Amino acid sequence: MNLIRHEIKIDESFYKVEEVRQLTNETFSLKLPKARFAFKAGQHISLGIHGDYQSREYSIYSGADDENLEVLVKEVQNGYFTPKLRKLKAGDLVEIHGPFGKFGMEPKDAETGKFVFIASGTGIAPFRSMVRTYPEIDYTLIHGVRHSEEAYDRIEYATDRYILCSSRDKKGTYHGRLTGYLKGCTFSPETHFYLCGNSDMIFDALEILKDKGFERDQIHCEVYF
Amino acid sequence: MKYHLITLGCQMNLSDSERVSSVLESMGYERTENEEEASLLGMLACSVRQKPIDKVYNKIAQWNKWKNKRNVVTFVSGCILPADKEKFLKSFDLIFQMSELAQLPEMIREYGVVTPAGLRNPQPVMPKNEHIAEMWHIKPKYQSTYEAFVPIQNGCDKFCTFCAVPYTRGREVSRPSGEIIDEVRHLVNQGYKSITLLGQNVNSYGLDKNGEEINFAELLRQIGEYGKTSGEEFWVYFTSPHPQDMNREVIEVIASYDCLAKQIHLPMQSGDERVLIKMNRRHSMDKYRHIVADIRELIPQATLFTDIIVGFSSEGESEFQNTVAAMNEFRFNMAYIAMYSPRPGAASYRWENEVATDDKKDRLHRLSEVLKGHSRAYNETLVGKTMRVLVNGTDRKTGFSTGLTEGKLIVRLDRQDNSLMGQIVDVKITSAADFSMSGELQEVFSLSNQ
Repeated sequence: MNLIRHEIKIDESFYKVEEVRQLTNETFSLKLPKARFAFKAGQHISLGIHGDYQSREYSIYSGADDENLEVLVKEVQNGYFTPKLRKLKAGDLVEIHGPFGKFGMEPKDAETGKFVFIASGTGIAPFRSMVRTYPEIDYTLIHGVRHSEEAYDRIEYATDRYILCSSRDKKGTYHGRLTGYLKGCTFSPETHFYLCGNSDMIFDALEILKDKGFERDQIHCEVYF
Repeated sequence: MKYHLITLGCQMNLSDSERVSSVLESMGYERTENEEEASLLGMLACSVRQKPIDKVYNKIAQWNKWKNKRNVVTFVSGCILPADKEKFLKSFDLIFQMSELAQLPEMIREYGVVTPAGLRNPQPVMPKNEHIAEMWHIKPKYQSTYEAFVPIQNGCDKFCTFCAVPYTRGREVSRPSGEIIDEVRHLVNQGYKSITLLGQNVNSYGLDKNGEEINFAELLRQIGEYGKTSGEEFWVYFTSPHPQDMNREVIEVIASYDCLAKQIHLPMQSGDERVLIKMNRRHSMDKYRHIVADIRELIPQATLFTDIIVGFSSEGESEFQNTVAAMNEFRFNMAYIAMYSPRPGAASYRWENEVATDDKKDRLHRLSEVLKGHSRAYNETLVGKTMRVLVNGTDRKTGFSTGLTEGKLIVRLDRQDNSLMGQIVDVKITSAADFSMSGELQEVFSLSNQ
């Protein structure tokens, strides 16, 4: 009699949720085991929930060498996907594909360049990844939010590098939209700008930076949908 | 044993279908175009657009009714979204990814037991491409004797918001360059004249291999070098490149080799910066402009084709006018203009579709008129010139044939002779129309017969 021993194949795309880390009433970080793939800070992944047939793209919120892979999620009221993500519990399975994208700098540039990161809302995710991956990076992070409580993990950024622009309260560095703050800024000519967030913010910021004389190839964009 | 295969969608599916045919015929199946006499009925589906998916549902409903009268086995593959796949599992007997094609004979033999797709638990949301190389090892059964498609890459990592391909074909995987060059060489030896390198983003070729594979420019260079030594006349095209990864080096290589066709298809999608951002195209109009400037400088004779979507979410009249301006600036020879329609699985499907259908139709019409003017003006410059033309069909007008120039411009020629089919001939252009030209056959020329 032939005995056939079937090989058990473990699909490396599946990760067990370790924690849903609540940051505000609507926003949370999905904490997963260490990534089984190498990624560059700024890249994104495709995230699906086991048993569901939809997936969404999320920028990686954790650093390239961190012990956990994290994504930052804001729950969309009456949305299909994010309420399901929020209900995940430790031990639930999610499916990850990636990494994808080219948003981000080369490691050698991170050591020598001068950077301004411009984010709206959860668009801060790739910049946290960059700051954690390149601790010596010379950056200024301009973060636009409605309420100052949306300054996710603010404590991790040096106070002189993190500018919080809150439009609905006065607890930020600047009261108003980040584009208003940006208009009043001056930057050295060699600065590279990284923009991440909703398309309207990106377009408006792009125009402001072009008006200030920066070339399009100094401005890098990642749009959130 | 006969099989019937329906192929929907783009050239990638067409290329895949040639490999499916090859596998089935190696099992002893004979192809039939009459589905009523086939015992194996298959489809290469396309979830990227709604219309082909509707066709799949209509067809499988019909085929399943036939099962009451005779034994038929049905299968489906191709570009399939996870949601459609779930439904297809209930309707089709077999469902497989192209990366599983090598196992198709086994699946058919074991039909009724279980399918590999059904075995996987948990089932991945995104198609996995690790085994796509096995599919590429299968020699295709080419459907033409002079025109062939050679896949060089599968999948897409770009996530344009209007497109579902990353969810149907998975992430970008490049085919080994040695296999590609061997297939091109084989085709040229068989007398093929038009060879198209296929991929969702051909100029990302090799980038997924982290330096262990050559890049797209080098792949073209190696094909060009082979072309120089082959002694054969043939034209190599590629589709589609993404402007994000297009560079001057690729254009320099095309300019350097006769066999690399002087026709470039460069999807623009919109001429408006804001719309491009919303489409997540990851290139600016400046970048696009630089590429076109490089093409005009290095390959002035090249024809330029593009893809454009009108009526994309948030496109107003002023954004549309920027696309019109871009059309006037770049003077495309051909543009495949589509009215935006939300595609299930794509990010933009979840947005409100803000542009009224009548406005989309109007913009499509206006842009087509602009295109028509540029195409005709270009065609008129060729009147009186003799062009190399690949004869590829019989014209509706008795006594005439049709063909394509190296730049893929349509030519009607004054001869109808089956022996000319698949030949590259000299045609003197005598008149120009909006999207085609007419000409007189000069002589039949074949280097291999000299």
